[in-house]
Amino acid sequence: MNRALRRVSLACLVMFVLLLVNVNWLQGFDAASLASEPGNGRTFSEQFQFQRGSIVTADQKVIAESRLNKNLGEYQRHYPFGPMYAPITGYDSLFSATGIEQAQNKQLSGSDPALAVHNLIDLVTGKPKKGATVQLTINSAAQQAAFTALAAQGRQAGVVALNPQTGAVLALASYPSFDPNQLATLNGSKLIKNDRRLLRDPNQPLLNRALNDTFPPGSTFKIVTSSAAMTDQGITQNTPVYAPTRLKLPGVAQPLVNFDGEACDNGSNPTGNGKVPLIFAFTVSCNTVFGNLGMQLGGAKLKQQATLYGMNNPRLAIPLPVTQSNFPLYTDKAQTAGAAIGQESDTVTPLQEAMLAAAVANKGTLMRPYMVDKVTAPDLTPLSTTQPTVLSHPVSPTVAGQLTSMMISVTQSPQGTAHATADVPGIVIAAKTGTAQTGINNSGLDDAVFTCFAPAANPQIAVGVVVKGGGLGADASAPIAVKIIQAYLAAVGK
Amino acid sequence: MSAVATPSGEPVGTSTAAQARVPVSGPAPQHGRRRTELLMLVFVIGVVLFAYANVGLGLNGKIPAGLFEYGIAFAVLIGGAHVAVRWLAPWADPLLLPLAALLNGLGIVMIYRLQQSGRAGNTGSVISTMTTSTTLYQVLWSAFGLAAFVAVLAFIRQPRTLQRYTYTLGAIGLALFAIPALLPASMSEINGAKVWILLGGFEIQPGEFAKLALAVFFAGYLVAKRDVLALAGRRVLGIDLPRARDLGPVLIAWAVSLLVLVFESDIGTSALFFGMFVVMLYIATQRTSWLLIGFLLFVFGALAASRLFSHVGERFTIWLHPFDHVHTTAFQLVQGLYGLGFGGILGRGLGQGQPYYTPLVQSDLIITAFGEELGLTGLMALLIIYGLIVQRGLRAAIAVRDPFSKLLAGGLAFVIALQVFVIVGGTTRLIPLTGITTPFLSQGGSSLVASWMLIAILMRISDTARRPAPQPIQDEGMTQVVRAG
Repeated sequence: MNRALRRVSLACLVMFVLLLVNVNWLQGFDAASLASEPGNGRTFSEQFQFQRGSIVTADQKVIAESRLNKNLGEYQRHYPFGPMYAPITGYDSLFSATGIEQAQNKQLSGSDPALAVHNLIDLVTGKPKKGATVQLTINSAAQQAAFTALAAQGRQAGVVALNPQTGAVLALASYPSFDPNQLATLNGSKLIKNDRRLLRDPNQPLLNRALNDTFPPGSTFKIVTSSAAMTDQGITQNTPVYAPTRLKLPGVAQPLVNFDGEACDNGSNPTGNGKVPLIFAFTVSCNTVFGNLGMQLGGAKLKQQATLYGMNNPRLAIPLPVTQSNFPLYTDKAQTAGAAIGQESDTVTPLQEAMLAAAVANKGTLMRPYMVDKVTAPDLTPLSTTQPTVLSHPVSPTVAGQLTSMMISVTQSPQGTAHATADVPGIVIAAKTGTAQTGINNSGLDDAVFTCFAPAANPQIAVGVVVKGGGLGADASAPIAVKIIQAYLAAVGK
Repeated sequence: MSAVATPSGEPVGTSTAAQARVPVSGPAPQHGRRRTELLMLVFVIGVVLFAYANVGLGLNGKIPAGLFEYGIAFAVLIGGAHVAVRWLAPWADPLLLPLAALLNGLGIVMIYRLQQSGRAGNTGSVISTMTTSTTLYQVLWSAFGLAAFVAVLAFIRQPRTLQRYTYTLGAIGLALFAIPALLPASMSEINGAKVWILLGGFEIQPGEFAKLALAVFFAGYLVAKRDVLALAGRRVLGIDLPRARDLGPVLIAWAVSLLVLVFESDIGTSALFFGMFVVMLYIATQRTSWLLIGFLLFVFGALAASRLFSHVGERFTIWLHPFDHVHTTAFQLVQGLYGLGFGGILGRGLGQGQPYYTPLVQSDLIITAFGEELGLTGLMALLIIYGLIVQRGLRAAIAVRDPFSKLLAGGLAFVIALQVFVIVGGTTRLIPLTGITTPFLSQGGSSLVASWMLIAILMRISDTARRPAPQPIQDEGMTQVVRAG
């Protein structure tokens, strides 16, 4: 029997070795990933034992901070501006986190390897552990203007303002928004109640419309179609282009028409079958001209141009994840014509709208959008600073210059679609309006889209606005962009 | 195989054999290795009291009340067991008692720590399944356990005494297994497992004692039948299969364990029981084919059960995808894993972790509380303590000469290893989690008392194995002492 007993001993040894190896793996190697599991109460309650880092704007306004709750002896997150910054900061609740709270969690919670030395020094010197401060690129004046303007018009909307030269996000607002303080409560049952209420709200206040909701770009897409035509066909703003009143589409009974079926006539096209300069077609936003250009260019070239402007990118993060803006490959001619004027399956986020204008404003170079400017350790030593990087080169500087002229014309020319709403004293705004038809057979309310930058001669800010069901882009969206531009330029003194 | 033939030529058995062959002149040493045992026990008391003080310091910065009194009480209990061993089993293995005492003491400390969570102004939240007297009960049960330990040593002076009761104990074992299944749920069910006898506020888990009774039964039965069971039938793929007519016992064991599984929803005990039987069958017959047949039956039974019974199938789902069921069925497992991860390499320190997040952390998942507060380091130390107990048990099995004792010690040592493997492997997600107790650590009296009885049997067997042969009465060189065996 001893032979069998020895084998049994060996089997027992194997069982214990398996257990030992497994606990080594769990506690030695897997511990970090277990700690980062959402819903790990231990990690969570640990994070409330010390002060989490603050989130501040570029001009040092604190928009998220941890305050000691004296009754519980724990730190509670506080958002001084409530819903205004909610799509930026997100929230840090008992169960989950979103926004910058999630994307920069390692820095804010102090678990980033870059903070290890600081933490060790604090441990030795007996100072309480504290997370790093995350400073954003957001300008508080622009943000306040953005949120106030969205709230004043009252419809579902999203807006993003960028610094075209760096890609820094200056403002990012979504409406309706929510108060993240309601989700920062340390009272679990209250939190669940508030969370349920927000999730069930038909207006979807938790949805970040600036980054994670998409809309048809409508006529703002004519910037992309113009870019492709100028790059590919070598035409300029003054090149006469075919401008029918009704553009016949192959294989489709209904022709493509302009807004309200009007003719595209600058006085030299009375027959509605002649040509007008491209800049005129852009200024009054003739659908037939750009539908025709789109068919000439073909789906592949349009898609290539749209992708260069930042569309079709599933992995864009600023560092908040951005929903992909879509421009699929169209092969059908009629569909290509529709897509060239921002209809069909074209979809954009408000951020993408801002990127269109930003690329033009920055002489054809699109900067990668970003929102975190720098991370500072509790002792104020900088840990990291974001360097602006180029995302792509959608158009040449020459083409960008021509596009700028055309976009200036949209606000400055008396016939321009945004002349009434975006021609403001003292600032020349370069813009493009869009009124996207939605629903089956365009039965839905039109989405108002607006993309612009200012000042046109020395661009400081680019803005993209989408108001769901807002009607004409010039009417609903342009005033919002104007308010942000005015507030920002006043704040930075330009 | 005759009893005399076994130790000859076996290197491990030689030390005792040599001792026996060369009669020691003069009186036999009074204390086998009892001094070592005493020294180890002093060390154990020190470790346990230090851990107890540590809990208080970790929870609220104060040395807990009653450190001195508890220290005396623990020392008296352990010291009493030691004195009993000196008297009743002076040749027994010197490590088994200290190892078991250390586990028992640390278990009490951890249960005290969990009980104090959120109480008396301590940090953490109150564990609702524990009362303020849980620790006191555990201490009382430990006293019972040690009393049972002494009683086993006192009443069973020869391991073979047990062999006489092979079938009686077999019947008692089966009855103990069956009682909870026959009782109404109100008297037998806690948390879905129908494995209890609930009488007048007492909770007895008869399966823990059934395990011991059946180990004795298997040993007695297999020793009697092993020659038949070892007969080879057909040879397939280089393995001698047993004869079909000899499959009866293993099929019965299999059927009984399946019945336990179905009627008592107790996968852990079922696996433990069947595993013990198969391994003892293997030790008795040395036939690998029995292991293979047992393993195949186990796999088939487990698969069939996971298909047929949702609560078994659920265990597999939780095991494979725990993080998909964090808020429902896998909550306990995942909280245990979080606790282990939270502990990391060195642990949070006693009283400074958050084990109260894990449901029933004081019983089935107590090992995760140790992992959380003592870290990987402490957990490995605990596993090595268990490993040493198993090793000492198997060493006794190899050293003892009589086949019944060999088989019994081997089976009991293996069942400790298997139980630790099933529960620790379950809580650490090595295998599906099934609720069984962690020997000596988990809260609960039956397991504690049964574990102490198991240690007593192992010590009795090791005492028999290491005891020198009786002095020849006449030293004439003619008379040979015929050793029992």
